Amino acid sequence: MAILEIHKISKFFGGLAANSDVSFSVEQGAIMGLIGPNGAGKTTLFNCITGYYPPSRGDILFDGQRMNGLEPDKVCMLGMVRTWQKVRPLPKLSVVDNVMVGALARTSSLKTARALAMEQLKVVRLEHRAGFLAGGLPIGERKKLEVARALATQPKLLLLDEVMGGLNPAESEEIIQLILDIKARGLTQMVIEHDMKAIMRISDRIVVLTSGEKLMEGPPQEVVSNPEVISAYLGESHA
Amino acid sequence: MAVFMQSFLSGILIGGVYALIGIGLTLIFGVMRIINFGHGDILMVGMYLTYVLFTWLHIDPFVSVLITFPLMFLFGGFLQKVFINRVLHAVAQNQILLTIGLGLVMSNTAMLIFTSDYKILTTSYSSSTLQVGGGVTVSTPLLISFAITAAVTAALYWFLLKTDTGQAIRATAQDREAAQLMGINVKRMSILAFGLGSALAGTAGALISPTYYIFPQVGGGFTLKAFVITVLGGMGSVVGATLGGILIGITESLSAVYISSGWKDVVVFVLFLLVLLFRPSGLMGKSRT
Amino acid sequence: MANPVLKPVAGILVLGALFALPRFVDSPYALHMMILLFMSISQGQSWNILGGYAGQHSVGHAAYFGVGAYTTMMLMHAQQVAPWLGAWAGVGMVAVVALAIGSICFRLRGPYFVLASIAVAEILRLSAINLTGLTNGAEGILATDLPPFKIGATVITDFSTKVPFYHAGLALALATITITYGVQHSKLGYFLQAIREDQDAAHSLGIPISRYKNIALVLSAALTSLAGSFYGVYVGFVDPPTVLGLDVSVQIMLICIIGGMGTLWGPVLGSLVLVPLSEALRSNLITEALVKAGVVNADSRTGLFLKENLSHAHVLLYGVLVVLVILFMPDGLMGFFRKLASRRQREAV
Repeated sequence: MAILEIHKISKFFGGLAANSDVSFSVEQGAIMGLIGPNGAGKTTLFNCITGYYPPSRGDILFDGQRMNGLEPDKVCMLGMVRTWQKVRPLPKLSVVDNVMVGALARTSSLKTARALAMEQLKVVRLEHRAGFLAGGLPIGERKKLEVARALATQPKLLLLDEVMGGLNPAESEEIIQLILDIKARGLTQMVIEHDMKAIMRISDRIVVLTSGEKLMEGPPQEVVSNPEVISAYLGESHA
Repeated sequence: MAVFMQSFLSGILIGGVYALIGIGLTLIFGVMRIINFGHGDILMVGMYLTYVLFTWLHIDPFVSVLITFPLMFLFGGFLQKVFINRVLHAVAQNQILLTIGLGLVMSNTAMLIFTSDYKILTTSYSSSTLQVGGGVTVSTPLLISFAITAAVTAALYWFLLKTDTGQAIRATAQDREAAQLMGINVKRMSILAFGLGSALAGTAGALISPTYYIFPQVGGGFTLKAFVITVLGGMGSVVGATLGGILIGITESLSAVYISSGWKDVVVFVLFLLVLLFRPSGLMGKSRT
Repeated sequence: MANPVLKPVAGILVLGALFALPRFVDSPYALHMMILLFMSISQGQSWNILGGYAGQHSVGHAAYFGVGAYTTMMLMHAQQVAPWLGAWAGVGMVAVVALAIGSICFRLRGPYFVLASIAVAEILRLSAINLTGLTNGAEGILATDLPPFKIGATVITDFSTKVPFYHAGLALALATITITYGVQHSKLGYFLQAIREDQDAAHSLGIPISRYKNIALVLSAALTSLAGSFYGVYVGFVDPPTVLGLDVSVQIMLICIIGGMGTLWGPVLGSLVLVPLSEALRSNLITEALVKAGVVNADSRTGLFLKENLSHAHVLLYGVLVVLVILFMPDGLMGFFRKLASRRQREAV
């Protein structure tokens, strides 16, 4: 069963199309990888899905409900939450308070929220940092904090925008394990990632975007062996 | 009709001076992304400077521009180097607060020196007028000040468009980081911009001193007016500020005649809010979608 | 304080002492100072909710202070409405004004929000000057005859001394502190701080941004309005510059900047610094002290100059303080103390 269906989404800025007629659907419990060269429109698509921009055309169906034009907070309350490519911690709040903000989406009790936040910090192995100011964390831990905070909103679908960007191999490996752990708990995920090896390991299916359009979609093996995908990526690395 | 022409014309004349104030503010904003809440107080310093030069040294206020401009330039450069420079990378509210604080220091120092009495600078031509025809007259000092404003603005445009330094300032305003990469000394440009902005505000102060009351708190109203002008023209746009200044001059002048002089500032602020809401990038700017 | 019993006990003792103070101190001047202190705390604490916690730096709080003060004073002057009732009418008026302002200003961010907040306050100040029929224009409203405050038939006070004002001011200050404490320890406080720290991130975490900003604004404005009503009634006079001027907005904000924005005790600390300092300047205490200490001669030129001008210098002092605080301790006194404490902690480790 598909939890998210994207129907012919287009987004124009001025006359330029950042996304045009992109369609795909994400199965409940699966991990959908979203790849493509820089400027392919991956983050724009995330922004459209999570309510930061209304799509110019097309439909977004989540859990059977039409999402177009809903504000980001409504989107979150309906069960879709995102992280940011450029991490956005709440710097002057402590780590646990950051996660509590997420938890408070579903409860008004600070006590419940704190317990839930500590639980999520354990999931990302950041509980030893609970009392630290979020602004002072190193990048690897800030990325984990983003994930914990998003998880605390108790989503049905988690959208991760380059959570491994800027991390060293050991840190990336931790994040990969984290994503697989989250999958094991039955949560659906959509992941934008640049690291091909990582995306091959975690994704059940992959959508490839180039210049705002869907180039192809399929299981990882099919995607890596597709000549068009290879040329799109080689084209980028040779440019 | 004569009444309309009369107030329209004086609106344009006073608008010229407003343009000068607005250009100063927009220049500073363009280069440093800082909104100078002490801008009107810098203008007030210019007014008192003119007053002192006139009463002590008997220098005509319009001639004194030659002294006011460079002195205010140095004063602005000093403010930037000693104070503003330290908050260039601070959060926006701290920058705003710092300039508010500097403004308070300026206006209250003026109060300590000159007391809060209203001073009037009376020249031989302060209340003389000139027949334009069709029953329309204009005030001579306003006319002279408009002519000087036009000259200063023209010189400024020339400086910004034709000289290397001017182009460096514009490059910094467009993209600070790129300008730095291209080898432009952006720190120096910031000092120059704040100096120039202050010199323009000070000059405007000198130009209006024959027709305005001079008192320590006079700046506040001009700061607000400068904001209105720059927002109308689009923050950072020199051309926009020029046109915005004249537009505000006309609006004020017409609403003083057709509504009442007590409400003219209200009209300006309401206009300001409308622009902020519906055309946040300014009347001349591109809309945000 | 490590001892969990000590803190509430100390708190109750301080509170009791504050309430009982007028029994032991009968100097009207001392009471006046305390009343100013309470008012400053209330003002600062009110601004703190919107500016400190929600991060919306309004430079137009004079709008709420002034509308509250004017409503109460106009009702008292023209309709003989007792101020403790009129103040609630003021709160109602201010809530309407605040929602109108919110619908305009909250569409704007950063410096544009600041500019819009100033513009709105200026429109109100100019309107107060021009609507002479309603507000008596620039002359202001003088209303000093307070009806006696009764519960049932018992007269509690007839306001012949400063003591009832002292207690009303204390109650107001305590109320604002308690409300801020409540905000800080609730979902509201977390959401406001999240909005302050990163509006887009907060939005993605399910926080309806404009609803929470408006809640903060109305709460902040309503409390500021009560402070305004209190001021008007205590002084017995309001006019456009003293309750609606830009100076008022700056002063309200300053309390928090000096003490530390977004902290519970910041506005209290800020008031403890600002009120005595500006009063000392205003009332020539400093000049008198200098004369007493033999530093200057009272009749010398310097002495006369100081006497004449130092009393105007309190706003100059505000300016100097803002500049110094922003440059050297941008997080205010609270931030400064915290930094000291954490440094000591690190050294201890």
